Order: sequence, then C-alpha cells, then structure tokens
Amino acid sequence: MNLKEFQQKLKTNKFLSNYLGIILLLLLVLVFWAVFKIITPGNFGSPDKLLSYLQSSLIYAVGGCGLYFICVMGLWDFSVGANIVLSSVLACYFSQQLGFGGLILAPILCGTLLGLLNGIVYIKLNIPSMIVTVGLSLIYESLSVFATQGQEQILSPAYRAFGSYPANLILALCAFFLAGLLIKYTKVGTYTYAIGSNEFVAKNMGVNVNKYKVVAFVLCGFFAGVMSILTISYGTSMTSASSMASMSRNFTPLMGTFFGLAFRRYGKPITAIVIGEFIISLIFNGFVAFGAPTTIQNVVTGAALLLIVTSTTKPVKGAVVK
Amino acid sequence: MSKMGEEILKAVKINKSFGITHAVKDVTVSFYKGEIHGLIGENGSGKSTLMSMLTGIYSIGSGEFILEGKKLNVKNQVEANRNGVSIIVQEMGTLSGLTVAENIFLGNEDQFVKFGIKNAAAMNRKAQALLDQYGFHHIHASTMIDNYDFEDRKLIEIVKATYFNPKILVVDETTTTLSQAGRDELYKHMKRLKKLGSTVIFISHDLEEVIRMTDRITILRDGELIDTVQSSDVTEDDLKRLMVGRELSGRYYRTDYGEPVSKEVVLSAKNVSVPGQLRNISFDLHKGEILGIGGLSECGMHEVGKAVFGASYDRTGEVALADGTHIDSIPTAIKHNIAYVSKDRDNESLVINDSIRDNICLTSMDRLSKHHIILNKKLDQFANRYAKIVSVKMVGVGQFVSDLSGGNKQKVALARWIGKDSDILVLDSPTRGIDVKVKADIYALMSDMKKQGKSTIVISEEILELLGMCDRILVMKEGAFSGEFKRDPALTEEDFIAKMV
Repeated sequence: MNLKEFQQKLKTNKFLSNYLGIILLLLLVLVFWAVFKIITPGNFGSPDKLLSYLQSSLIYAVGGCGLYFICVMGLWDFSVGANIVLSSVLACYFSQQLGFGGLILAPILCGTLLGLLNGIVYIKLNIPSMIVTVGLSLIYESLSVFATQGQEQILSPAYRAFGSYPANLILALCAFFLAGLLIKYTKVGTYTYAIGSNEFVAKNMGVNVNKYKVVAFVLCGFFAGVMSILTISYGTSMTSASSMASMSRNFTPLMGTFFGLAFRRYGKPITAIVIGEFIISLIFNGFVAFGAPTTIQNVVTGAALLLIVTSTTKPVKGAVVK
Repeated sequence: MSKMGEEILKAVKINKSFGITHAVKDVTVSFYKGEIHGLIGENGSGKSTLMSMLTGIYSIGSGEFILEGKKLNVKNQVEANRNGVSIIVQEMGTLSGLTVAENIFLGNEDQFVKFGIKNAAAMNRKAQALLDQYGFHHIHASTMIDNYDFEDRKLIEIVKATYFNPKILVVDETTTTLSQAGRDELYKHMKRLKKLGSTVIFISHDLEEVIRMTDRITILRDGELIDTVQSSDVTEDDLKRLMVGRELSGRYYRTDYGEPVSKEVVLSAKNVSVPGQLRNISFDLHKGEILGIGGLSECGMHEVGKAVFGASYDRTGEVALADGTHIDSIPTAIKHNIAYVSKDRDNESLVINDSIRDNICLTSMDRLSKHHIILNKKLDQFANRYAKIVSVKMVGVGQFVSDLSGGNKQKVALARWIGKDSDILVLDSPTRGIDVKVKADIYALMSDMKKQGKSTIVISEEILELLGMCDRILVMKEGAFSGEFKRDPALTEEDFIAKMV
C-alpha cells in the first residue's frame, strides 16, 4: 500500500471520518485550558468554574445552531441580536401573564416570526441577506423600545429556572437534538447543504431554492427564540436596544457557527458548534482571569471573526468581493 | 440491434437563444431504441445546449421533444429522471458537503421519508447496495463526498444517472476527464443500457471514440443540424469536415500576400505557463505583424492574451518587450502601450454602466489631466475624436455603453486603445457576435494599424478570420502550440483543423 492509498483509506475510514473532528476539538479545549491554567493557576479553570463557562457557552451554541442553517448557504443573519432583545423583553412580559407557558412560547413565537419576516423580505427584495437583516434589525430594536418604553425588563425570580442547571442544560440539549435531527434526518438538512454547495445544481435537482432559504431563516429565528429563553433566564433582565446596540450579540453565536462550518466535513456540525462555543468561553474567561480589561473580549471577538471567516471561505481568484 | 430503427425520442424544431446568440436553430432529429447515438460539433455548436434542454437544465426556447409519443418538457433534472431521462454532465455533477448517498438520491429523498423524518440508515443501505452492485466497493455511501477525488465522484455520478435504468442517458463530454479505467466503467454501463433497449446519447470530442462506440452520429454546426450518419460509414476526417466546413462569406480580409514581415521583435514570451491553462509556451511578436492564435475554444488560447497583458494568475515564465521591460502586471502593460480587448466584452472590457466618453478616456486619464485636474471639455474632444476614427454609431459621447449594440461596443473598446496610442494590440475574439459590416470595419482597422507599424495578436475561434488577416498563425491544443502557419493563399481550413483537433 503506498502513501496515497493509505491517505485515502484514512480519509474514508468510518471511525476516523466520524470522530476525528470531535477529537481535534477536544484537543483544542485541552490546549486552551492548559495555557490559561498555566498563566493564571489561581482563578481559572477549576471544575465548578468550567461548569459556569459551559453554562454561557450553551446559550450561545443554541443561537449558533440556528445561524448554521443560514451560514451553510453562504447567507448572513445579523438580526439575531435584535431578535434576542425583542424576544427576551416579550418573554419577561408574558411570563407575568401566563407563567412558564408565556416565558417559553412568547420568545419562540416572536423569534420564529421575525425569522419568517427576514426570509420573506430577503426573497422578495432579492438583495444581499446582510443588508436585509441589518436593516430589519434596526426595526426590531425599535419595536423593543416601543414595547418597553425604554424600561429595563426584569424576569421575576419565580421564573428563572432556565437560568441554571439542570433546566438550562435540558432545554439546550433539546435544541441541539432538534438541530441535529433537522440536519441529518430531514430534507431541510440535505437541501440546505445542496444550496450552499451549488445553488444552480440544486435547482436542477428540483430543490425549491427560495422556499428552503426562507425555511433556513425561520429556523434561525426559532433558535434565536430558544436562545432568548436561556438569555433572559440567565441574565434575569433585559433592556431594549437601539442604534444597533444589539449588533454585538450576533457575534458570539456566529463564532460557534463557524466552528460548525469548519468541522462539518467530519459530519458532526452541532457537536462542533457546542464545543466551539466552549472554547470561545474558555478564551474569554481566560482573559478575564488574566486581568485583561473586558474590552479585550471585543478585540478577541473581532480578530477571531476575521480569522475564522478567512479560513472557512475559499477565495476565488479574480472574483469580485463586495 | 434487433430493435434498431424504432424511434423512441424525437426533437422537433428545437430553438434556443441566449441574448443575441442563437445557440440552437430548428434542430429536428430522431433517436432510436437500443442505439448509442453520437452528438458532435465544435464548441458552441449547440450540442450541450440541446441536451440541457432535453434534461431540464435549460428551458426549451421553442419546439418540442417527443418521448415515446408523448411531449416531454421537464423543469429540472429530477423531473427528467422521473420521465426516464438522465444526464452525466461534463463538470462536477455532485455536491460537496453531502454524503455519497445524499448525492445519489438528491431530489428523490421522499422514498426514505416517513412523517418528515428521513431514514438515513435505509438510504445509506440502498446506496451502498447500488455501489456494490456496480463493483465500486471502495466507495462508502455514508462518507462525505468531499473525501473522494474527481474520478470517484464521476463513478458516483454514473451510479446516480443509471441505477434506475433510464430510457435515455446523455453522456456529455464525460470521458475527457476520466482515466482509462473510468472510461471503461462508463462504456460498460452505456453498453448495458443499450442491451436493455435504452438509448444513449454520447457527446465527445474524441472522434475515434465516437466512431468506435456509437451506432449513428449527428453533427451540429453553429446550432444547426448538419447531418446524421451511420458510424460504420464514416472516418474521422469525414466527421472533421462536417464539423467545421464553413463557407467563405464576404471578401473583406486582407488581399496582400508575400510581403515580408519585419525581423524586429517587439515582444517575446518565453516559457509562459499558467496552471490549468498554458503549458510552457514561447513566441515572438514582430513589428507590424498580425499574429493569429487559433484552436478549439478550451485550448488555452484565450489565456495567452491575458498572460501577455499581465492579467493571468500564477503565471510563470516571462513576457518581455524589446527594451527588456518585463510585463508582469496590467499597469505595466498599459504603461508600455500594450492594449488588450477581452473576449468577454461586457464584463472584462467595458464599463457598461458608464458613458462612451468615460470608457474611451479611461486609460488615457494621465495624458488628459493637467496637475490632476480633468476638464470635461478635453475629455469630450478626445472621446469624440477617437469615436469618429472607429465610426461608433452613437447619439453623443455622453450616451451609455449599455445602450449600444455588440459591434458598437467593440468599437468603443478599440477606440480606447487607439486613443492610448498603443503599439501592441492583443485582441481576443474581436469579431465575436458582431455583424458583417462592423466586422469589415474592424478588419480595416487592423490593416491600418499594421501599416502604421503596430503589432497585433489576434486570438480567434474563427479559422477563416485568422487565415484572412494574419501574417502568421499559431495553433494551440491543450495549452500548448501544436502548429505554425505562415501567411499563404494556399492554406486551407483543413490544414488548420488537423492541428487543432
């Protein structure tokens, strides 16, 4: 057997092609944990701290699952942040009216509807999804201001179960399971990949491209809604946003999505998103433990975003990038 | 062969246009049950377009396909498959990011879906059973297709296109990209389907292969049906003649022969290579020479223009002027009076959504500005002067280029470079899609430039144009030069074609 055959054998080996990605990601977790543990042994990375890092990463990973459907197609949704703000304030309001039912249903319904609106506007206007969702997010933010009259909304202590273990973990796992099911065991997943790979060919194979793009936006909105439940339960309060203040909320879920994209060839994108978010969480908290100012988080986010997008997009020579 | 002669599919007066290009013209042809039917023609002869309409990749312009007595008008490949028609395409027909099984059943998942949930295990099982049945044991159905190379992905496409025993299988120039083993695999399934009484429509540039594999052959040229012949009755040369035998129309080429060309070299290319396009080409361009470069459209000749103009990516080797200047970038090329007119007029040559004035002045701005200040009056004068020289038909220089016809657009592109006072012109397909009158104008312009001692490289798919206008012609095949001809009235198309196919 020569080297090339051996390589091909490795590439198509069932076990490796299934688990290699996960193994690599877990190694990354270990590396980052070790680095920060060595630098700041005192206030980083003890088991209970790791659990709290995991808690925030679970929240972002749920949003990351939603964005995955969008980003696989090469589209963008920058309204997730605004969606979370609006859905969260609605969750506060409806939990007072309808208890846990309101806390769960209101943000999911709101998130899904905003996703549907994103999708329809994108298809009808036929302009870049980035512009559509940034434009709409300004409107969604304003809705949150109208809804609250600028007042901070506080979730009553009676309804904060999803802010801590085990309820948060259960809800997040349900969301991950659903995302995984959609990707692997429904047409939505297959068609999303097909459109992302080559829209023209997908159309030729009878895929209703516009329909599945709207479906992707709806799913993204739905997962943003679920993320809102976790966000408001964990943070316990939410203030309406304006002038794109919600924009920064897009990036942390998005980074998880990029882990999913980068590791999707190993067939476990959702697991990659979850572990990816945990790595991000490790880095953020590592810097905090290190005593770096919180602004450094933004530097890390910005730099990581550019780095990850650059490494996951295949540049085409001579292509015009806008 | 017992069933031969029984018609299964008929194309009736099929037409298709893309903008001004009439790609398929009134094609009527019958396909028989149990035959392998070759479809040949030069690039742009309409064979792929015709088959794309049959299989739903393009919509039908006009006319109809009749399959077993019923009208067939499918919207996409999956619908075509359901009607028993499938195609193996020239390029990659599988999608990255999906597993092998998902690719095989793309668009046909419903058989595995129950209550909205796809039974991936059943799908993988069925796909694996098919792969095993074809003898492709080394391909795993549940693996991401990205893990397989081009050849294996073509094998997967063969499974996808033939497992359901289609009545019609179209094989569109698939063999060129396959190794011998892959070809044999494809031949095997073409023959298997033929035995089952299906029809295989086989598109290939390899004429030897076409004659060997097929029962009958249909030849297209410029979108028109030329003839359908029995494969056993023809030779490769017969086919070549049928493929390219154009008639000479109009007498607007140069009439001079035998005048010597200057020995002075103005530009020389040495060992120029561009990955996937050019392989180690070298040539000299002389003062006052019109040098032609011809071949089949995919032979790499269009890249030569880009390479000379410094516009190629990852070019190696050197392009140098007489004074030793190396041309490695577009600004350097323009600065040293090299002009380049791209084949893709609307995207690479002209700024469509801008005025004739701005298009003509674009490369001469330095000369037209004084202390970085540009006066409109000066631009108007300049644009008007050169638009007049090439006789652009326009309302005024303020008119937008997007309003002009193809021929007039090309004149604007030429006016720009004449205005720049270019010494070396690289013209890629200068008369493509242009009517006879404007063609004559462009040829006259080329002769004028020659008289002024300027040198021209003409890259063209039209053999007669090269024979009529050039002092010397280089023929290309698969990224390298395969022949050279001096200007000679005795030179014929056949001499030429022999070198390019």
